Amino acid sequence: MSDHDVHSAHAHGPITRAGDMPAHDDHDHAGHEHEPGHDHGHGGIGKYLLVFLALCGLTTMSFLTYSSVWPWRDQPHVGWAFMMAVSCTKAMLVVLFFMHVFWEANWKYVLTIPAAMMAIFLALMLVPDVGMRTRMVSQERALHMARTSDVRLMEQAAEAKALAELAEPAAH
Amino acid sequence: MNASAISLPHGHDGHSHGHDDGHHDGHGHHGPVLQYQPGLPLSRGKLIMWLFLSTEIMFFAALLGSYVVLRFGAPVWPKPHHVHLSEPIGAFNTFVLICSSVTIVLALEAARANKAGLAKLWMLLTLLLGTLFLGVKGYEYQAKFSHGIFPQAPRSRIYEKPDLYYGSAVRARLGEPAIIDKLKELDDTPADQLTAEQVSARTRLQQIRKMVTSPEQQAFDLAVVADQVMPLPTEGQGGSHGGGGGGEGGGHGGHVSGLNDIFPWLKLPAVIPGGNMWASTYFLLTGFHAVHVLVGLIVFTILLGYKLGPKDAGKIENAGLYWHFVDLVWIFLFPLLYLF
Repeated sequence: MSDHDVHSAHAHGPITRAGDMPAHDDHDHAGHEHEPGHDHGHGGIGKYLLVFLALCGLTTMSFLTYSSVWPWRDQPHVGWAFMMAVSCTKAMLVVLFFMHVFWEANWKYVLTIPAAMMAIFLALMLVPDVGMRTRMVSQERALHMARTSDVRLMEQAAEAKALAELAEPAAH
Repeated sequence: MNASAISLPHGHDGHSHGHDDGHHDGHGHHGPVLQYQPGLPLSRGKLIMWLFLSTEIMFFAALLGSYVVLRFGAPVWPKPHHVHLSEPIGAFNTFVLICSSVTIVLALEAARANKAGLAKLWMLLTLLLGTLFLGVKGYEYQAKFSHGIFPQAPRSRIYEKPDLYYGSAVRARLGEPAIIDKLKELDDTPADQLTAEQVSARTRLQQIRKMVTSPEQQAFDLAVVADQVMPLPTEGQGGSHGGGGGGEGGGHGGHVSGLNDIFPWLKLPAVIPGGNMWASTYFLLTGFHAVHVLVGLIVFTILLGYKLGPKDAGKIENAGLYWHFVDLVWIFLFPLLYLF
């Protein structure tokens, strides 16, 4: 199988990287791997560590929104947008460098762009039926649905409990 | 090899062989000769892996998209600390996965550089990091299960709101014979055999037993009952818990006063507004992700049986592509589930 791979990679040479290697060569290539885009491999470890550090830094940044240092705690949308931007950056770093897409030939667009577009359409098409489902519900359903008022009720109960606990030592 | 190539005249190898053999003597070297190229310029294994990954993109896009759409369409969605999610643990798991992504890339580089021993070491490290991720995930699941958060009804003890249905569920639980025995045992225990917290909790438990069975029960009473059973920690409590109790995890910071926490055998129904939909999406998303991690671990275990020299670099690369994708999914899952 690996022998076969080497041959096919060899046959691909002229198409993917014209001029990189001679069109006709001997078949005795088994020693040398002809991965398309292999030329980035030399000294790549430093690059990977750099990407790793960037990923760690970005994770810390999105974690920052959770800490008290984050200045927009009362505006969650700011944090969400920020975190999504950070996540997309991280995803790009992983795809481009760890998955070697940065060094790949143009076939990468054939596979990734349609999949990404369909993924986005898929999510958008869920909005009317799934995302807006609570806007038009039966009365019975609405009766059993949790609402923000329930959260408030629980918070009021928590305050009442605090009062009861303050009163408790006096009762005993 | 040659025989099989010739027997498949339209095959990839057959073509290139025929071409080379036929023209080598006649033309000599005239620079690049265009060849018929049937397919994308990459090895078949990698092509299949990328095709598989593009279906995986859509698979997780559907799951993540549904989650986002459900979450922002829901009238109430629980805060992470309402459902006992610990952000530091999630961040730690993110870090673990990123590390494992690096180690698998280093394994590939080592294999290409013909350092099979080093490649094995990195591969083993990847396997261990993936296992650590699953272990932490299991610990997190346990924290959910111990609070009665399950994805489905018979085990799930989560109610959406403190209404009459909730009240009757609490009453039903308190009326179970085993619980009646336990309650009697608790009531008969002398106060000096209990901690101060347990004594206070016993008083509160007696109060809520009275409240759920009282004929003059008011709607607000049920909210008080729900709050006694498992309080929803407020923003401040959640923050201090995350800041101070990172190692403690599991979500015990603001919940020690909950009756379910003090008497674990009690297992009373609890109220988390929006908690059921949260549980469904959380377990579906993280569960499918965990299954993917598990598959990756199996692949790494199999790969460890190989020599991991340059000949196996293609296998490592494909396994790595898959693993990076799993990492990629978690990169989106972590902020969406833990920080939103």
